[in-house]
Amino acid sequence: MAPDGHLEALAKVVLNNLENQHDWTEAQMHTPANLPRPMIYGLPPKRLYVHPDEQIAIIKAEKNRSERIPQTPEFEWVLPTHLAEKWSPAQFAAVFDAIDAIPPGGSSEDDSDSAGPEDVDAQWKLWRGSKRGKRLLLATVQDDSTVSYYFMFDGLVKPRQN
Amino acid sequence: MASSAGAANRQVRISRIGGRYLVFDIDDVVHIRRHHGMCAILVGTMPQNPTQSIFLGLPIELYAEEAKLLVDKKAAYIADDATDHLSQLKTMDSSARKAYFQSLKAQRKAAQRIFEDSREKARARHAHKVLKGKPEPAEPSAEADDTLFSSKPSASPSVVLEPLKSPAVTPTTSNLLIPFSPSDTTPIQGPPTYPLYAFLNARGYYITPGLRFGGDYSVYPGDPFRYHAHYLANCYGWDQKIPMLDLTTSGRLGTAVKKGFLFGAEKPVADAADAEPDTTGKNVRVFCMEWAGM
Repeated sequence: MAPDGHLEALAKVVLNNLENQHDWTEAQMHTPANLPRPMIYGLPPKRLYVHPDEQIAIIKAEKNRSERIPQTPEFEWVLPTHLAEKWSPAQFAAVFDAIDAIPPGGSSEDDSDSAGPEDVDAQWKLWRGSKRGKRLLLATVQDDSTVSYYFMFDGLVKPRQN
Repeated sequence: MASSAGAANRQVRISRIGGRYLVFDIDDVVHIRRHHGMCAILVGTMPQNPTQSIFLGLPIELYAEEAKLLVDKKAAYIADDATDHLSQLKTMDSSARKAYFQSLKAQRKAAQRIFEDSREKARARHAHKVLKGKPEPAEPSAEADDTLFSSKPSASPSVVLEPLKSPAVTPTTSNLLIPFSPSDTTPIQGPPTYPLYAFLNARGYYITPGLRFGGDYSVYPGDPFRYHAHYLANCYGWDQKIPMLDLTTSGRLGTAVKKGFLFGAEKPVADAADAEPDTTGKNVRVFCMEWAGM
């Protein structure tokens, strides 16, 4: 992969940053089929993203069982880019088409087969399985090795109440 | 308001004046806000005495994409007085011409009748004064009135007048001249951001101009009177190269104002020549961005 060596190097910068600055574990490079550049997936030290509707489901479930539900981290996709690059919507669409919602290392906690839709306790788990939309972390590298991370979602996803 | 069935077929009249799309009818304004999710902006004021923006009234001004979407949905028509007037005048046939002259004649007859009535009244008043035996002071003004309308001055107020020529009438409106044709729904040219607008509007979002949050549009999940905006939105071309810095700054800005940054593009389709205009943005693909907090 000689012509793509710089992309490999870029991904390595991001991988190092994730592991050493943000304490990610199990992070590794992965090049999905039909994609010209490597992506990264890994496990952050704490959960990075909770969909606003999932938050409501969690609160309902917590009320039901009157104890807090521990939020274990989820595997996330990372797309390494450089600040000097220019991306078109078509390229982003190709990336989202090439990945699954849940990275290879992650597993679905969705046990919706056993639980009916009325089961409040199971609703929040759907967000870690079938209800999880495609999302990735857009990692933008600048020459001074600053890396900024933005969540990017496929489709209309309502913003968190931050 | 009309019934819901009537509301469904309501044709909103959008006046194109000086390249701007204006709606003057308050029922139309209510209709497009309730049934098409468009707020537009109030722009009406008195030119002699302009008011502050919050006191502006009718008409409302629609953006080109809003006007285009309404026309494409066949819920509105564009009334462009300046060009329609000339083109319709040029294509008039002889029967329409004749009908118009007939209506002018009728107007002149009506005017003449009013003139005669008023003359009759004046004469009656005058005769009353003559009977009283004081004709002199009123004489000059009565003479002056008569000479205005009759070919020769009447010698005495009691002389019977000959029939007057019909007075000339200057029409103040041309609506008798031009047939009303609400079927003019020729599509209009929208801005490049139109596909994203149609996409969001079809999904029930209300959209206002985005300058205040730094994008093309501010996108509300319902009426802006009730909701805060969810997104600031930008529309790009499908293969338009977006500098990474634009995405990160917009993403950061959106997060700073507690919104998501949404960008979208319309995927070009091979059979772009199909006749039915797309009002749902079915080829639009959107992405949302938020700061990851790390």
